[in-house]
Parts: sequence; structure tokens; C-alpha cells
Amino acid sequence: MLKKLQAIGLCMVLTILSGCWSSRELTDMAIATALGIDKEGDRIKVTVQVINPSENAGQSFTSRTAVTTFTTTGDTLFESLRRLTTLTPRKLYLSHIRIIIFGEEYAKQGIADSLDFISRDHEMRTDFHFAIARGYGAQDIVNILTPIEKIPANKIFSTLESSQDFWAPTKVVQLDELISSMTSKGKEAVLTELLILGDLNKGSNIENVQSVPSYTSIKSSGLGVFHNEKLVGWLDENESRGFNMITDNVHDTVGVVPCGNKGNLTIEAYKNSTEMKGSIRGDTPNITVNFTAEANLADISCTIDFTKQKTIKKYEEKLAEEAKNVMKDSLEKARDLEADIFGFGELLSKSNPKKWKKIEEEWANIFVNDLNVDFKADVNIRRTGTTTQPFLDNISKKKQEE
Amino acid sequence: MKKKFWSFTGKYKKKTAKPNQDQLQTSSQHQQPLLGMLQDDVKYIQSSMGSSADFETRFFQIGTDFPVEAAIIYIDGLVDKNFVHNFIMETLMVDIRTTDQGQNPHEVKDILTQLKSRSLAASDVTEVMDYKSVFEQILSGNTVLLLNGFMKGLAISSPGYDSRNIEEPSSQTVVRGPKEGFTEVLKTNTSLIRRRIKNPNLWIESRKIGQTSNTEVAVCYINGIANDDIVQEVNRRLDNINIDGILESGYIEELIQDETFTPFPTLYNTERPDSICAGLLEGRVAILVDGTPFALLAPTVFIHYFQATEDYYQRSDIGSLMRLLRFLCFFLALLTPSAYIALTTFHQEMIPTPLLISLAAQREGVPFPAFFEALMMEITFEILREAGTRMPRAVGSAISIVGALVLGQAAVEAGIVSSAMVIVVSLTAISSFVTPAFNMTISIRILRFGFMTLAAVFGLIGIILGLIIMILHLTSLRSFGVPYLAPMGPFITSDQKDTLLRLPFWKMRERQKLINKKNVVRENTPSPKPPGNKN
Repeated sequence: MLKKLQAIGLCMVLTILSGCWSSRELTDMAIATALGIDKEGDRIKVTVQVINPSENAGQSFTSRTAVTTFTTTGDTLFESLRRLTTLTPRKLYLSHIRIIIFGEEYAKQGIADSLDFISRDHEMRTDFHFAIARGYGAQDIVNILTPIEKIPANKIFSTLESSQDFWAPTKVVQLDELISSMTSKGKEAVLTELLILGDLNKGSNIENVQSVPSYTSIKSSGLGVFHNEKLVGWLDENESRGFNMITDNVHDTVGVVPCGNKGNLTIEAYKNSTEMKGSIRGDTPNITVNFTAEANLADISCTIDFTKQKTIKKYEEKLAEEAKNVMKDSLEKARDLEADIFGFGELLSKSNPKKWKKIEEEWANIFVNDLNVDFKADVNIRRTGTTTQPFLDNISKKKQEE
Repeated sequence: MKKKFWSFTGKYKKKTAKPNQDQLQTSSQHQQPLLGMLQDDVKYIQSSMGSSADFETRFFQIGTDFPVEAAIIYIDGLVDKNFVHNFIMETLMVDIRTTDQGQNPHEVKDILTQLKSRSLAASDVTEVMDYKSVFEQILSGNTVLLLNGFMKGLAISSPGYDSRNIEEPSSQTVVRGPKEGFTEVLKTNTSLIRRRIKNPNLWIESRKIGQTSNTEVAVCYINGIANDDIVQEVNRRLDNINIDGILESGYIEELIQDETFTPFPTLYNTERPDSICAGLLEGRVAILVDGTPFALLAPTVFIHYFQATEDYYQRSDIGSLMRLLRFLCFFLALLTPSAYIALTTFHQEMIPTPLLISLAAQREGVPFPAFFEALMMEITFEILREAGTRMPRAVGSAISIVGALVLGQAAVEAGIVSSAMVIVVSLTAISSFVTPAFNMTISIRILRFGFMTLAAVFGLIGIILGLIIMILHLTSLRSFGVPYLAPMGPFITSDQKDTLLRLPFWKMRERQKLINKKNVVRENTPSPKPPGNKN
């Protein structure tokens, strides 16, 4: 009995001595949702977007904004974040960061040193996305208020996710992928670019979300190309699409080819897959990219007969050709930037590790000049939608009769 | 375990040795045989009972030619007065004149036997020789007949006291299933069991426990199914009880359970006869106590508290789902507040972002830490619940208004507690009432506070730590030698058919192995099949 009491007593002491170690009440933390990293001279400028909880959930909203941003500078990212406590009302809580944005200038000088903190810090959850603010500082983007999604970081997060799913040119990049492609010898990193449309100054004002069309909005479009840790150039929308097609990162997208005399045929490609094969024959490395897609007819603005198998076949070939061109354009651009963003080098190293060792050192050069890339594309139109014949045909007939 | 039990009762005996001596002395006086002098005997009995108001004596004469002085003694309110009038007094005073005319009762040596075998039209007539048995008989609702000049009397069974009717049990209600519940009268309760198990092997052993109260306690089991060792052990533990009075089966439960210092109940109690019968058929031993509708069932395992009788009355798929739901609710009731505390004060990164924002918004302006807030609300709920149980029915609605409006809505609106916390507490409260056994609900409620403290101090680690300690404790528990966590604790594959799921009856062909060791096969029904087309 005495021993039991002693044990119970010891347990009590244990709880009292440790005393809620590292516990933290929700009301004591400032939940950060977005982090913007810029360069200011030699120092790092950090902008953090912190949510204002009572404006995001609950019953009574005031006219205050849903988020607030704080900016400070420091020698390193961690130092600046800690210095932010002199500005923020509570201690920053970084676990719920949805997006980290690098300013273009900062990205050009290299993002590696801040990535170390991001991957090292225990508080970060590593399920956030990265993006680059093209033509602006990261601070500018973090400061913009967005309609519908009260938290701008959530808006960017979900824009990136949904556009990746339904629109080929964008790509979400997370920490592990970013670091692995930066460190790999046979691969270079890409990051989504974010653009600001409209008036920069009005964007951070609450009026931005009070008018029906926002004065300022954030758009994600192409991709920024890195060489090692430095931003070296941009892929435009079409080139980004090609990049995603090659790297098998297209879930569901739209393809347009001209048809008839004037008009377009639009398809919704919904089952896209790409197979890449690499081999080194002799000394020339070879890559075969095999793109296949299944598509539905989505939108026809010309007068062609789609009940005929032949016509479908014809347009399938046209679409395949178009796909090949898009991929080729993307490759050309990557060669211009001397960045193997597709991971061809990695592919070769897996298929033939011994020979890869020999060409590894010269890979940048080989990628630009000697690499032989074959593109194959195969598009199958499966369904024509809820109608077969475009009624435009009938309209034009009617016009002729009149 | 046995050794421990013995030492426990030994200690108990030492402590209570003194007060029992007085009682022994009085009872030794009562041991004296009857004097045979009618007036003196009656006077002694009357004075021994303090001339209590409900003590009734009626002097009369038997026979006309050679009248014998006689008296009947009974306790008013315990006997059926009509019976006493019609079958005892009328027989002895009126009928006997027609049958026994001309006989000198004093000459008939064994007049008592004559009366017993020829005159008294009662089913149960026994002879009493001493005062002690006279007291026993009249206090059990029997009528004692004393004749002048005879050193013994006759006790005629004539009980007829008012008791509650058989009603629907209020503590364990069912949608489908028998609606009869035990009453306070032991004989009614045993009859309810007999009516369900019509088998001569259903044995009921009765004994009196309680030095002062002399409460009748019946041990009930099916001979041939129940494990003999367990029956012996139950009897031994009951014999060891030395207490002044037993007013409820809870007394017995506390005196015979294996382990006292545990939040978990190791004896199952129910006021449902069908539940007891199910236990008897599984080879358990039932202990019924006079004066309470709650009967005990031993041995009991942890799973037992999650098996509602209705599981077996509904089809097995429904029963299984209900049971899974109950296990879920067990953990919800146990861990919801502590998980909430741990997540919101230690592991905010585990909460999805939109939920965290919503939680943070609710906590905005709440002046207390999450732990204190949870503790406050849980204690408030416990107060409400306790008040709801004890208060007069008429003020019930007042309590619910105060509870729901004042504590729920107003506290949230005033910003003293967050609405998430109200949801957590409500969920916990409702979940805790899903467990069919009320005493298990109490254990959950006690443990919940421990878990909340652990969560507030150590976070999720604390909760896991608590769960480990709880499981260790559960595995160490025994109920009459049967491991408490069986058939999970010692894992018995064949007994899994009635644990997490309730398989169809044609799958559960065997009784639980640890409870029942010899007569294992329970049934042999083939699984039902649709009739074939050919036949």
C-alpha cells in the first residue's frame, strides 16, 4: 500500500514538475498562412501573412480584414522571423503555412539558404506549395486581399491545386520535390509563377474585396525555371503545358486545333499519361517520350461531320501532332535555358547507371546539344458529348437558304 | 487471488469482532426452547420484540368439549390477513368442532401433527421448537401457532405483503425484448428466472446474510453448465460476509469483488431477468438479494458491459453494428475532451487548417486555458447530471432549462466558454450514456478526468500513456479468477464471435471458454439455408 502511494506521489510530482511543457493555447498564437521572402540589399525581407481568426469564423464579423501582414528584415530567414515578434501581437505559428512565395529578385540570387531553414524547422508541416512572384516582390503578393477565399494564402493554394487538376500549364511544387530536383544532377527545379493583375496599391485595401470585379487579383500561369538554386528563366503558358505533358503531370486539360475553314475544335483530354524511356546507345543518349490521351469533344465551331470515323481519325492525328509540337517547343525552351527540368538525366542514370557516370559531368552540355529526344503522341477521341453533329451546320444552311 | 481474498476477509473480521458480541448474546437467549406455557411464551416473544405496534397476537380455543388454549402470532403487514382468517382461524375455531368432536385434544398426544396433517389447509407448515425460529418465521411473514402445554408450535406459511408490481426496468430499457424487470421481492425474482429456464438443473441456493437484517440472498446457477469452482468460490465469499445489514446488492458486490481499488466494475448488475438468464446459460452465477431489483452476475468480463440484451434480440448484423457503435462511444466518452485539449494546446499542426482557424476564432476572447475550460464544463455537466438524478421529478424541467440555456447558450454568448467546447462536452455526455451498463459509465466518467489532466500536462503522449496504464490495469483485473479482458486479454480465437461483433446464433456454438470449462457446446443448429429447388 505504501509503495502504491509512493508511486502515485511520484506520478503527481512528475506532472507538477513538467508542468504543461511546451503547451500553447490557441489564443496565444498568430497562425501564419503565407510567407513571402524577398531580397533587400544583402538582407532577407520576410513578409508573413497572419490570419485574424475572429474575422474568418464565428458569427459576427467586423469590417476588419481577414488577414494581416507583417514585414521585417534580417540576415537570415530565421532571424527575421524571430524579429517579427517585435511586430506581431503573438508568437508566429508556422505549421499552417499554405504557401511560400519567393520574390523574383530573390529567386534569381538563389533560394537555397532559406530552404534549409524551411526543411529544418520542426514547426513546418511541409505540405505547403512554393511559388515565385514574377515581376514583383513576394511582399506585394502576400499583401493582396482576395475575394471568395478570405485568406489569400488559401486562395493561392487552391488556385494552384485546381488549376493543376484542370488546366495543364501549372504545377504545384512541394518542399521535398523542390529540394530533390535542386540537388539532383540529372534534374532541375521549376516553380509556379504568380502574377499580379491590376493595381498593386489597391490590392491590399479591403475595397479590393468589396467591389464585384476585384481591382487586383493574383494569377498563376507559367513556370519559373531554375538552374541549381537560381532562377534562370520562364516558361510561357504553352511551354509549361509541354513541360507537364512530358513529365506526366497532366490530369485533365483542354486542347485546341483549327478545323474546317475557320473555326476551332476543342477537346477535353481527360486521361493523359506519358511514358518516358531513356537509353544510352553507344555514346548518344536517347529519350523517347510517349504521350497518350483520351479525349472528349468539347466545343466545335466549324462544320464538319463527326459521325464519320474518318473525320475523327483525322482530328485525332491533328491533335497528336499538336501535342508533339507543344512538347518540342517546351524542350527547345529548356535547352535555351540550359536546364534539364524534365529529369532526363535522372531517367538515364536509372536506365544505365554505368554510362551515366561517364556523361554525368558534361550533362548540361549533352542535354543542350547531343541528347536525342523522340516524341510520340497518341490521342483518342472517345465521346462526342451529348450531341454528334454540330448545329452550326444547320445555321449556315439556313443562312444560305435565306 | 484466493489468498488475497482470505486475508481481506480476515482483516474485516478482526475489525468487527466487538460489536458482534452483543448480538451473539441476545441470539443465544433466543436459542432457548419454548416453555410450553402459552401466556409466558407469548409474553416473552412480545417483550422481546419490544411490543412493537405491528406485532399481533390472537388467543382462542380449539375444540369445544375439551378446549385447548391456543394463540397465533404474526406481524401485521407481512401476512395475508385473509389467509389467516380463512385458513387458520376459521379452521381451528369453527371447522375443527365438526371434525374432531368427542376427542379430547389433551389425550391425543401429537395434536400438532394432527393439526398439521389434517386440519391446516396451508401448503407450507413447519414445526418450531425455539424462540429463535419463532422470530425467524414471523419476521418472514409466516404465522406461528402456539398451543398451551406444548413445547413446540407450528409455523404456517402465510406471507402476503404489499410489493411493487413487475414493471419495465427503468435502468436498462429495450426497444425489442421482454419488458419485465425484477422487483424488490426475492421470490418474485426467482420465479421470473424459473419461468425463463424451465429446467430442474436450475439450482437456487438461499442463505441469510446480515447479522441484524437477516437478508435473504439467493445464489442461482445451472448445475452442469456453471463452473463448479466458481460456484464454490461465490458461496465461500458469501459465507465470509459478516455485516450487520444488506440493503442492496451493491453491499454484496463490494464485499465479494476481487479488487476494490479499481475504477472498473468486476460484477455485473442488472434488473433484467433475461439478462440474468442469458448469464446463467453462459455458465455464470447469479446472486439475487431480497429487497432490491438489482441482481449480480459473476464472473464478469470487460466485454460484458458492452453486450446489451437487445444485441441478441435484433438480427446479428444490427447487433454487431450497435456493438461497434458502443465501443466507439466508449472511446469517445473517455477521450474526446482530452483529445481536444491535447490537440488545441500541444499539437495544433495536426488540426486541418480550416478547422484550426474556426477553433481559434471560437477561442478568441475565451479567458481560460483549454484544460480549465474543459474541466469547468465537464464538472458542470456532472453537477447537472447528479442534480437530475437526485432531484424530485417535478423540478426536472427547471434543471434542463438551466442546463441547456444558461450553461450552454449563455456561457458561449458571454464568451466564457467556446462553442467547440460545448460540442465536445455534449458529445462526451451523450456517448457516455450509450454504454448499456451504468456502472461502466461511471468508470468512464471518473477516468475521463484523469485523461484530461494527462492531456493538459503531456499532450497526446499523456493520453497514450494513460491508455497504456489503463490497459495494463485492465489486464491485471480478475473477476472470480477469470481475466477481466478475456477473451481479448488472453486471446481466445473461438470466443471472438461475441465480442466486437455479434455473430449469428448458428455460428456461436460454444460457450465462453474461461467462464465455462466443462459444458462447452451450446447448440448445434445448422445454418439456415433456403429450401433447395429439387426437394
